[in-house]
Order: sequence, then C-alpha cells, then structure tokens
Amino acid sequence: MSSVLRKEGAVLPQTSKKSKIRDDRLRFLPWLFLAPALAIYTVVVVYPMVYSAYLSLFRWDGVSPAKVFVGLQNYWILLTQNDVFWIALKNNAIWLVAALLLPTSIGLGLAILLNSRFRGSHIFRSIFYFPAVLSLAVVGLIWTWIYHPDLGLLNQMLSALGLKVLTRNWLADPNIALYPVIIAATWSAVGLPMLLFLAGLQTIPEEMHEAAKVEGANRVQVFVYITFPLLRETTLIVLAITAINALKAYDIIYAMTNGGPANKTQLLSTWMYFLTYNYNQVGLGTAIAVVLFSLTLIFAIPYIRFMTRKV
Amino acid sequence: MSQSLSKKSARSRPDAKTTLFYIALVLAALIWFTPVITLILTAIKDAGDFAVNGAFSLPKSIRWANFSEAWETGVKNYFWNSVIVTSFKVPIGIILESMAAFALTHMHFKWANQVFTYILIGLIVPIQMTLVPLTLLMNALNLIDTLTGLTILYIGFGVPFGVLVMRGFFRTVPVAIIEAARLDGCSWFRIFYRIALPLALPAVVSLCILDGVATWNEFILAQIFLRSDELRTLPLGLVQFSTQFSTQYDQLAAAVLIAVVPIVLVFLFFQRYFVAGMGGAVK
Repeated sequence: MSSVLRKEGAVLPQTSKKSKIRDDRLRFLPWLFLAPALAIYTVVVVYPMVYSAYLSLFRWDGVSPAKVFVGLQNYWILLTQNDVFWIALKNNAIWLVAALLLPTSIGLGLAILLNSRFRGSHIFRSIFYFPAVLSLAVVGLIWTWIYHPDLGLLNQMLSALGLKVLTRNWLADPNIALYPVIIAATWSAVGLPMLLFLAGLQTIPEEMHEAAKVEGANRVQVFVYITFPLLRETTLIVLAITAINALKAYDIIYAMTNGGPANKTQLLSTWMYFLTYNYNQVGLGTAIAVVLFSLTLIFAIPYIRFMTRKV
Repeated sequence: MSQSLSKKSARSRPDAKTTLFYIALVLAALIWFTPVITLILTAIKDAGDFAVNGAFSLPKSIRWANFSEAWETGVKNYFWNSVIVTSFKVPIGIILESMAAFALTHMHFKWANQVFTYILIGLIVPIQMTLVPLTLLMNALNLIDTLTGLTILYIGFGVPFGVLVMRGFFRTVPVAIIEAARLDGCSWFRIFYRIALPLALPAVVSLCILDGVATWNEFILAQIFLRSDELRTLPLGLVQFSTQFSTQYDQLAAAVLIAVVPIVLVFLFFQRYFVAGMGGAVK
C-alpha cells in the first residue's frame, strides 16, 4: 500500500514531499498510540521487576536508609540456611505437577464429552466452567468449610459412610494439609483448560472424524490418531498457561492455611510475603521472587515464542 | 446432512446408552457443584441449625437476615469499593489497551513484534517480583491505602492481557478496510475509533467481562496496598471477615454469596463472551 504511494510520488515531485512528511508522521504516530499503555505498564510492572532483581543483592529491612550490598549472599542463605525455602520449593514442585496433570486432563475429558451437541450440553459446560470465575480467595473460603473438622461436609460424609477412621482435621495436619488445598485449586483451575480445549476441538472439521469412522476407526483410535494430534497446539498453550498460573498461586493458600501448619503449606509466593512483610527481610524476599520468576521463565519462554510467531 | 441425521436419532429413541450418559453427567455435575450448594445452604441457614446439622442438609427455615447482617457488618463497604475500582479500571484499561493493540496490528509499525514481546512479559511475571519496589513507589507518591493507587496498579497489570486479546481481534479486521480508509484520507485516530473499534466491539465486550471479573476477584495487590478496613475490596474484606468472625459461618457464607452474585449474573448473561475472549487470547 505505502509502496503504491511512493511510486506515485516518484512520478509527481510535489506529492513526493508531501508523502515524505506523512511517512515521518507515521513513524511516530504508532508510538503515540502505544505511549499511555507502555508508560503505565513500564512504571507498574517492568521497572519494579528490574528493581526487585537489584534489591535481591542487598541486605535490607525495607525501612532503614542503609542497604548493605551482599552480592549473591541472599540466594546462598536461602539455599543453605532457610529450611522453609526448601519446603516451599518442594510444595511448588508438587503443586506444579498436580496442576499439569489434574486440571488439564479433567479439562480435556470434559471438553471431549461436551463438544458434541446434545440437549443440555451448554448447561453442563457452564456448570463445569463456573468455579473458574470465582475469586481464589472465595474458593479458599468455601473449601475451608468443606474441610472443617466437625461441621465440614467431607468429614460428615466420611462418617455417614462408616469411614470415621479417615476423618481428620484436614487443613491442620502438617503431613497432608497441602493436598486438600491442591484439590480446591484444581476445582477452580479446570474451567480454563476445558474452555481452551473446547475452542481447539471446534477447529477440527467434523468430516475428519466422519471419515475416520467410515474407515472403521473406533472412538479411542479417532482420539489417539486424529483428535489429539490436531489438539497439539492447544495442549501446548494449555500446559504453559496452567504452569504459569500454578506458580502464581497465592490467594488460595492465604485464605485456607496461611502457610501453616508449621509452614508446611508455604509456597515460594507466600513465603516471599512472609519474609518481606512480616519479618522485614526484603533482600531474602526479593531473592525468592527472583527464584520464582526464573522458574516461571522455563514455561514462559516457549509460550511467548509461540504467541509472537508469525506477525 | 450429518447433523440432521444425528439429531433425528437422538430424538426418536433415547437408548440405554444415552440415558446412562446423562445420569453419569448429572451425577458428575452435582458433585462438581457441591461446594456451591454447600455455600448457598450455609448462607440461608440459622446459625443454630448449622451447628447441629452441619452444612449439607436442607435448612429448617430460610434466614434472609444473614444477608442484611453481613451487608451491614462491612460487606457494604467492600462491595462498593470493588464496584468503584472495577468501574474505573476496566474502561480506562480498555482504551489504553486497544490503542496499543491497534498500533501493533495495523499501523505498519516496525517494532511491533519487539514491543509485543516486551508487553507479554507482564503476563508471566509473578506479582511477588514487583511488590517491594511498588511499595516504595506508592509510598513516595502517597498512594498507599487509596483506591486510586490500587486502580492505577490494576490498569498497569491489565495491559498485557488486554493487548493480547485486542490484538487477537484486530488481526481479524481486514487490512483492505483500513487501507481503503487511508486512501480516502482518513486519519489514524479516526480509523481507530470509527472503524477498528466498532468492528472489534465483540472483543471489547469480551475484554470488559474478563477484565471486570479479574478486577473484582483480585486479592494480592489489594492485600498489600490497602491498609484500612473501610477501603478493602471484596476478596480482601471477605478473608479478613473470615478471620474476625471465624465462627459465624452463616454470615460469612452470606457475605461470600453477596460477593459472588454479580459474577454469577455477568457469567449467565455474557457467557459466550468468556469463550470469545479466551479464544482471542490464544489466536
């Protein structure tokens, strides 16, 4: 398009000047459109990120004017002297594995079930998606009641089924407290993969399935050889988004266990908060944030590469 | 053709297989919805009823007073604070985001891919990575413990997702339309708000909804940057409410339900936009 203009300009000298001015304006106009968003984003997100990385090299209580440069010592302290850091890291790993397995496979299963149109399929989609629109703090509160030792639904059900031996104070038992929280998080995390898989399934032409069935393929074969390979792209996005979201988990821990009992349910995100805002260990806190960010990058780099392909 | 066939067979005789499928699905849906049902039952129950029979039994009588009591105990404030923050954040954010996305898709901008990558970083960064410097910044600007400060932060953190969604939709606006408008001497600003934005209206609605829900639900920034009780937004207020009135489950459940109702309404009325919006995000 612009090349057409330039060609015309080459023929008529007067317009050549005009179109050059126009080109110069064009060069700066996109920046004008971008400026407000870029400015606020840079100030609120990017600059603090970089500054956090810088702060992680200091020993600082967050209040006093004196920051002591200690190099990588904060990271060394975390690795060698901070037991809770290791608990949090392990919990993050468990959380991540659970997030990559549970919501994704449940979401895929539901998407396949609900992709075919039958009476009420939309209602079922809404029901299974619904928890995803709730605040994680609210999800945490609701599930806290379910796990309540006396009045909670879970223990009542177990008692009613004659399994009283299994009842316990779910969120207060240091050995298992993390898992009830993960189940609550899974409940709210299923919606997004389901939605993305449904969108992915809709791009697969019905004829492909029909053709395979005509050729004599059974349901499992259709899924393994046709549906799943065609969902490859969707699956990669789902896995990346789920992993990134899993590493961001915070609200639900705060609402359900607040890191306890005995710090056994701390995640890097919550332990960062504790160190920074409760113990004034700003250097250690920002160092944890950097560790968390680095872990996120492992999943995020392929994701960003994918999102910025072909423009 | 194939559609009409399958419809016909489904209508004519619901065989055993179909019935079984429905029963299994209804059961799964019921189990899936148990937490929500529990919440509703708790919210309309008398505290005594709850203490004796627990959450999962039909209430002896419906006690609407739980809602008014929760509302007066503080939920009213939390609710209006959330309304204020959301209703400023969402429109302002969408204007900024769609302008940026428009520049990245249609203005023949040389650095478009680099700038987009730069913006995408914000999607993946854990919020913890920004908290300490933001605290210092907000402190210096006297914006700690203000809804204005919180709204500004929300707008900043909303940019990556907003640009992603809007860019996905602007890319579907045919270049020919924009080129034609250019040839007619239309300025870029006019093209943006008279052509591109109206064409992307479904995307704008989708983004409004996704963004509104996300803002309504946000917890950690509110937790760090709001200090006084009367400024708390709903999620923060509810968690606080639960630690203060930890035994008054009826009121707490009523409070949670009040917080959830607007989301449910939005979800029921604009459901298809959730799908469209998320679709735009991965295009």
